[in-house]
Amino acid sequence: MALTSVQSFYSPEDSKAVIELLDKHEDSALIVAGGTFLHGLVSRGLLSGIEALINIQKLGLNKIDISSDAINIGATTLLGQLKNCPEVKEQAWLGAIKDAMEYPPTQIMNSGTVGGSISSSCPFFDFPVSLLALDGNVQAEGSSGSRDIPLEEFFAGLFENSLGSNEFVTGVRIPVPAGSTTSAFIKMETNANDLAIINVAVCLSMSGTGDCEQARVFLGGGVGESPVRSPSAESALVGTKVDEEAIEKAGEAVLNDLDPLSDHRASAEYRKAMGKVLLKRALASAMQRLS
Amino acid sequence: MKQIIELDINDEVHELAVEPYDSLLRTLRDKAGMQGTKKGCDSGGCGCCTVLVDGKAVYSCMTMVMSVEDKKITTVEGLPSEGELDPIQQAFIDAGAVQCGYCTCGIMMATKQLLTDNPKPTEEEIRKGISGNLCRCTGYQKIVEAIQLAAASY
Ligand SMILES: Cc1cc2nc3c(=O)[nH]c(=O)nc-3n(C[C@H](O)[C@H](O)[C@H](O)COP(=O)(O)OP(=O)(O)OC[C@H]3O[C@@H](n4cnc5c(N)ncnc54)[C@H](O)[C@@H]3O)c2cc1C
Ligand code: FES
Ligand code: FES
Repeated sequence: MALTSVQSFYSPEDSKAVIELLDKHEDSALIVAGGTFLHGLVSRGLLSGIEALINIQKLGLNKIDISSDAINIGATTLLGQLKNCPEVKEQAWLGAIKDAMEYPPTQIMNSGTVGGSISSSCPFFDFPVSLLALDGNVQAEGSSGSRDIPLEEFFAGLFENSLGSNEFVTGVRIPVPAGSTTSAFIKMETNANDLAIINVAVCLSMSGTGDCEQARVFLGGGVGESPVRSPSAESALVGTKVDEEAIEKAGEAVLNDLDPLSDHRASAEYRKAMGKVLLKRALASAMQRLS
Repeated sequence: MKQIIELDINDEVHELAVEPYDSLLRTLRDKAGMQGTKKGCDSGGCGCCTVLVDGKAVYSCMTMVMSVEDKKITTVEGLPSEGELDPIQQAFIDAGAVQCGYCTCGIMMATKQLLTDNPKPTEEEIRKGISGNLCRCTGYQKIVEAIQLAAASY
């Protein structure tokens, strides 16, 4: 991990101090949480000229707060903490997050953070795709105060996001859906230490009579510079009972919204074919969770 | 710019001069002179460098040393107690789970957390528990057997 331009390592204890440091060091400052993706960024030549590392693990942001209308996950919450959260384990509507937490190896569960997973803005990660399906918001803090950014508006291309220069992520907020909601996530990977070939997250809200009122379908992993949404698959689902026939139609429809890339992991054709298969499986798994 | 830090490694406090960008792996091997922890890929891909931080397995190549100053670090050198090998180490010998040995220290550290959290893991849980560690020699079968053997004495 060659970040040899770094001169100072700070471990501030409140967000005001973080923002002051970001202001002072401008482009030469970098927030660090678990540090598990710094290598990924260095190796892509994205971290040249970094002189100050700001460790945010002493801010007390490693907490999950649950209220009746939202789940708030602090930025430095470890992926492992999220996996062990009883609500994530048990509630059908959080199924997509539960599923996404099945993939990372132990060592990443123990040091990768929720905030780092989002802020890396890497379309190949899993957790952000599950959070998109659940309509999560990013909470950011900067010198002009704090704000909530819908995750869909947060990502701005490969390793890019809409954070201002002295803003950082303090947490994510997931609104608790009304009624009967279920979600699921599936990743296709080459091995346990690899990023996704393609991944899919779905979230379905069903009416009392078993009709789909709202569907959110997102795909990540080599499908574009940021994860993509599939409005075609969503409209193939809304108004149906999400039975076999509707799932089949959604699988066909998702192809309209997919224009993936070819790389060392897989060809574009393979990603498309698998996107269809994984979507159908994710839908079946979400529905099973409800029953 | 070097800084002097105190690091609790295997219940002993070490005073070490580190760069602000040093990884825990580099610090252990090059500064503390403890070379049981191996450097494979130096990028989170192999697990050779696995150590415990406050009892949890992490890749030391991806851990900034400055962020673990106030934590307890356990390396493979810290596994034996009172001159006796840890049951995990003994089981790796008894099961013949070592070929070139490069992955072994990291896998034993991942096993340490696995068996501490879950003393009687199923084969599937064992395979999942070491999924962040690569072995290019054994094909994993003997490693899984070693962990089952270790679990029997845990
Ligand atoms: C071997 C390996 C396997 C992996 N497997 C998976 C997997 O199966 N599924 C999956 O989803 N992910 C996987 N990942 C990705 C992993 O989840 C991320 O690396 C991790 O969550 C990043 O969090 P971190 O705290 O380590 O971030 P860091 O490495 O500390 O930071 C990463 C980036 O985010 C920025 N950043 C961090 N926190 C903040 C903040 N609060 N505000 C603003 N910017 C911030 C940093 O400045 C940096 O640019 C894997 C990674 C590795 C290395
Ligand atoms: S050396 Fe750390 S994971 Fe390979
Ligand atoms: S024994 Fe050689 S890599 Fe595992």
